[in-house]
Amino acid sequence: MKTPRDTLFARHQNAAPKLDAIRREVLSAEFVREGRRAAVPKFRVADTATLPLLIWRELIFPCRRIWAGLAAIWILIFVVNFSQRDKSEMMASKTPLPSPDMILVFRQQERLLAELTDQKETPIAEPPKRFLPQPRSERRIEILMT
Amino acid sequence: MPEVSAPEQLPVPQARAGEPAAWDALFRRYQLPLYVYVFELVHNEQTSLDIVQETFVSAVKHIGGLRDNEKFGSWLFGIAHQKVIQLWRKHSGKEILFDEIPESPDEFENSPDDLLIRHEQETEFMNLLNQLPLPQRSVLLLHFVEDFSLEEISRITETQLGTVKSRLHYAKKSLRKLLETKNENAA
Repeated sequence: MKTPRDTLFARHQNAAPKLDAIRREVLSAEFVREGRRAAVPKFRVADTATLPLLIWRELIFPCRRIWAGLAAIWILIFVVNFSQRDKSEMMASKTPLPSPDMILVFRQQERLLAELTDQKETPIAEPPKRFLPQPRSERRIEILMT
Repeated sequence: MPEVSAPEQLPVPQARAGEPAAWDALFRRYQLPLYVYVFELVHNEQTSLDIVQETFVSAVKHIGGLRDNEKFGSWLFGIAHQKVIQLWRKHSGKEILFDEIPESPDEFENSPDDLLIRHEQETEFMNLLNQLPLPQRSVLLLHFVEDFSLEEISRITETQLGTVKSRLHYAKKSLRKLLETKNENAA
């Protein structure tokens, strides 16, 4: 009497040569690779051609969902930021300039405040001396003279 | 054809040590059962061969993750099962409906006969297997192909033991019904 296992196996017996080939292929590929890995130093610096591929395969692809999420968050931040900036610029452009009368009133108030607080007018700063390049030997004499 | 017996001595420690001959023996032992299991779920020869190949590659790479050497078989089937699920999700873009059957474990405590199918009907049962939904088919195949215990099937499919029992019960019930209908139509 045939068991379900026998029935199923008999049904798929023709796949056996293909499975043998797969087994051999996997073993040769995996163990040749293992052998190569053992021969090559572990921390080999990736060359410039394979580096992007290596970064993609080792760093980005395994956590692609996380990276996509982060990218989406950044895009959202940029969009929000950009839309806010547009609004503030528009507000600034819409605000009217103060009239000359208002400016005059502000100046008078400033002057009055200065009088009340007894503030002297700020002294006029001396203009900076012009630096003229001169030979080093002359500069030294100048220092000695002073 | 390899015989399946409980105290089967597999060269798993040697495979862990990286002996190609040990891996060859292990893959030789499991290649056909794995293929049969995968094929009966995906129904495509090339896809099944690809999944078996990917399972072998993953097994060599991740043998360090196997805790118990005696559970190598269920561990290997677990890898293949996950690959089938991944493929299924990729193609359908949906989750498999694992909870389509209500769980009622008391039903299975009645008698051991409830879980057995008569030998003369087995061949015909297998022909009707394809009419079952994927989760039920998967459980039934694991039970028939490798004679895995319910606990092992639960680990392979990453589902609750009660769910496995329920799926196996309903799978057999559905098969019986299909067979009865077939016989009635033939008569």
